[in-house]
Amino acid sequence: MDPMLTFLVILIGMYGLSTSKNIIKSVFSVTIIESGVILLFLNLGNWQGGSIPIINGAADLIADPLPQALMITTIVIGSTVTALALMLCIKVFHHYGTVEWREILRRGEGK
Amino acid sequence: MPDMLEITAYALQVLLIIMALAIVTHKNTGTIIVLIAVFSLVTASLYVINKAPDVAIAEVAIGSAIIPLIYVISISRQREFIVLDKAMDDFIISDDAFTGVGYIFLKRFTDFYHLELNISNDVRLCSVGRGREQKLCEETNVDLIVSKDEETGKYLLKGKQSNILMHKLKQMARDYDTIEVVTFKDRDFGD
Amino acid sequence: MIKHVILIAMLLAIYAVFTVSLQDLEQIYQTSADYFREFGVDQTGSNNLVTAILLDYRLFDSLFEAGILLIAVSGIIWISKHDIEEKNARFMLDKFKTPDLFVTFSRLVYPLMLAFGFYIIINGHVSPGGGFQGGAIVATAILILYYIDADKETNIGMIVTVEKFLYLTILIIASLSIFTRGTFFTNVFPYETSSTSTQVIYLVTLNILIGFKVALGLWAIFTAFLKEGR
Repeated sequence: MDPMLTFLVILIGMYGLSTSKNIIKSVFSVTIIESGVILLFLNLGNWQGGSIPIINGAADLIADPLPQALMITTIVIGSTVTALALMLCIKVFHHYGTVEWREILRRGEGK
Repeated sequence: MPDMLEITAYALQVLLIIMALAIVTHKNTGTIIVLIAVFSLVTASLYVINKAPDVAIAEVAIGSAIIPLIYVISISRQREFIVLDKAMDDFIISDDAFTGVGYIFLKRFTDFYHLELNISNDVRLCSVGRGREQKLCEETNVDLIVSKDEETGKYLLKGKQSNILMHKLKQMARDYDTIEVVTFKDRDFGD
Repeated sequence: MIKHVILIAMLLAIYAVFTVSLQDLEQIYQTSADYFREFGVDQTGSNNLVTAILLDYRLFDSLFEAGILLIAVSGIIWISKHDIEEKNARFMLDKFKTPDLFVTFSRLVYPLMLAFGFYIIINGHVSPGGGFQGGAIVATAILILYYIDADKETNIGMIVTVEKFLYLTILIIASLSIFTRGTFFTNVFPYETSSTSTQVIYLVTLNILIGFKVALGLWAIFTAFLKEGR
């Protein structure tokens, strides 16, 4: 089944997010989760099969255009959110001199 | 006879899982960027198989150029140590080459921590007054300011106190008589 | 090590729950797709049903999505802003030089990509594409310009100002339908009285505006990053 394999991608992203020691690797994991979620929505919108949602003449069964329209906005927003996270990451590096989560948290709590 | 499109879809999904595992477990960030670009191409072909050509166009346009670019820039910025040279004498540059005492010291320091040394002597930044040096450090990405103390003849290396590299620089500078490391007491991040 | 085992066990538990609930999840979508198939083209004038949903049925969503893009761009520019002028800060150790062959090919590819982006934007209602995708392609084409001329100076403030005005224009055009149809955020021309070719005018106008807005937003983002990278 397709959605089962797609959900594995999301789980791998979650694993990466919880084990990453580096801010950049966390951002990579978020990108993976995002791709998995998009693919899951498209799978769910296409579970009966069907043709692409562009009507030229008569069509029997089409893939649902609603999740597709939602996912287009998700991709554009996802890229800008990634850019925002990376810009914050650059600033954090030049302030703390490191991008390791552990070091930053230690310096943030007690000086 | 099995449907070829279905077999392709399953193969691509397995490939996607393998690539996700590779991205999560790989150590070298340079390789990961290439993997991310290929990952987005594989997902784009899966979108087409799932009857969504509109989403595939958006993914290819954004995932192939803009996302790798911003990753490359942010990762290359992470390996840098930016030094602003205000001393303007043979401390860093002597005879138009990087052979000064300070350069060798800084080069040893950055090589030890796998950083890339980047020295700037931009005129506009160097003209900033002494009182505004702390503001300069906070506002721009300059990590270290090199200047000369006229009275004692020592070279002052100034940086942010919150920066973990400054503490390590301080320990290394103990062996040198002419170098003194000064840190600014700074405010919290994000004020 | 024990933490990893617990983490993997938890993820497997999530996977098991997902497997059980998949039967219900599958019924969410594609049960209502018949409505779009039967009435979509007549009501909106767009052969591409995804564009029909983006620009007519759910215009509210895409408008505020464009708003979020604007907010994210403003956030990026605010974070990377420097009070002290840092323009043209040159480094002595500049290793980033673009190869000549790459520059030549970029010059060939750049106009083609720009034309392709405009094609995607304008034909968004009959073929796959639309404002968001075409805007991303146009932004990529502009990105190639920076490879050709690495010292190109861009005024980010100007880009964001133009983007804000475009967003206001989009909001005004989307709200015009309250005068003709009595509801906000839908096609200006009522589908009962006007033909499909009249409704297309509205779709193309909104697609072009959204396309330019997205292109300007992405342009501002990577200009901020390139300034950071110099």
